[in-house]
Amino acid sequence: MKRKGIGILAGLAATVVVAMPVLADTTPEDAKDYRAAVMTAFRGHIGAASMIARGLVENDGQLVGHAQGLASSAKELANLWPAGSDVNESESLPAIWEEPEKFAEAIDAMVTATDAFVAAAESGDAEAIGGAFRNVGMSCRGCHDNFRKSD
Amino acid sequence: MTTSASLTDSIRHATAALAAVACISTAASAADDETLARGEYLLHAGGCISCHTGDEDDAPPLAGGHALESPFGVFYSPNITPDTETGIGDWSDEDFLTAFWEGKNPDGDHYFPAFPYTSYTGMSRDDLLALKAYLFSIEPVRRENQEHDLWPIMSSRFAAGLWKARYFDDGRFEPDPEQSDEWNRGAYLVRHLGHCGECHTPRSSLGALETDEELAGNPELTEDESAPNITSDRDNGIGRWSVSDIDYFLEVGMLPDGDFTGSSMGPVIEDNTSHLTREDRRAIAVYLKSVPPQ
Repeated sequence: MKRKGIGILAGLAATVVVAMPVLADTTPEDAKDYRAAVMTAFRGHIGAASMIARGLVENDGQLVGHAQGLASSAKELANLWPAGSDVNESESLPAIWEEPEKFAEAIDAMVTATDAFVAAAESGDAEAIGGAFRNVGMSCRGCHDNFRKSD
Repeated sequence: MTTSASLTDSIRHATAALAAVACISTAASAADDETLARGEYLLHAGGCISCHTGDEDDAPPLAGGHALESPFGVFYSPNITPDTETGIGDWSDEDFLTAFWEGKNPDGDHYFPAFPYTSYTGMSRDDLLALKAYLFSIEPVRRENQEHDLWPIMSSRFAAGLWKARYFDDGRFEPDPEQSDEWNRGAYLVRHLGHCGECHTPRSSLGALETDEELAGNPELTEDESAPNITSDRDNGIGRWSVSDIDYFLEVGMLPDGDFTGSSMGPVIEDNTSHLTREDRRAIAVYLKSVPPQ
């Protein structure tokens, strides 16, 4: 009986821990800052991947890692713009919340392009890598053109 | 995207037609083939497509109608397909050269400098005639030109003439013997064919390019967009970019920090610079890196 109680408690605790990101009282500021951090990670992987793709540095197997980083972050994009997170000099345009379907399509394009980039990086074929990288870039622009403030 | 795709289709048709002709004719048409390929390349390098294609998704390529916003009002680009009534189908070689070199239409009227003859005036005769040959090889599209929507004071061709008398110098590009061939090619592409300064060089209140501030950026490109400084200044310009960074940016649109530009440079990269050879993009980079910092 006692054991079972501990089990239930442990189960509850696990539930709480697993559910934390949802339950946590994320402020709009934190949501925006987290989003900016993910975008910085995108830029880092893209910058590094482009140097390998251009042949400026030796590709010692790292391209796949950068591609996976992009593909993995792309899959959380859909959660990064909670309503009200247009704060702290956010560069997000209202169209993100006004045209959610169009925005979701732009994100889907990024998920598809980054997955294809992982496959190309794994193949090691320079031409496929170049083409897939270009498509990743197009998918970045696909969002930035319509949903990010221009300078 | 749609624009590029449909253009590619038109080009494919033209190429197919050309191949058919080549089969039944002599060596002379092989030269034509080369000229057409060069003309098509120049069409991209000159940025003709992005301006001369309408803004709607299914706009026929090069049939005009793109709205070009300026502080003086909105210009609508004309149809440059070889349709004889609404396009340029009845233009002679001389008409074509005069348009680019002197900024005049076949009736002798002055063009507004929205058509960047101020830059194109440096283009060579060979390049212009190859471009014309290509334009005349594509499918004619019947589409009436739309009137410009300008401030009354700027709206007459007479005003355009006055403006030209003061600000326009007609003249072909002269290579600088002190510089490398690569630099000279880059200078030709940046200053003339690619007309980069039309957006990236600041303008006076009357819309004239401030030539002593070449490529120093235009804060008032449109109401809500500025064109950045692309001189070799390390802080204000692109002085920290390597030749490879510039080449790669012009190919895929990536900034050296891994960001992708979402601006009116996007279509320029898509329709224009991504189609250039690596050698030409590198020549542009070499020239840009030599532009004095501002």
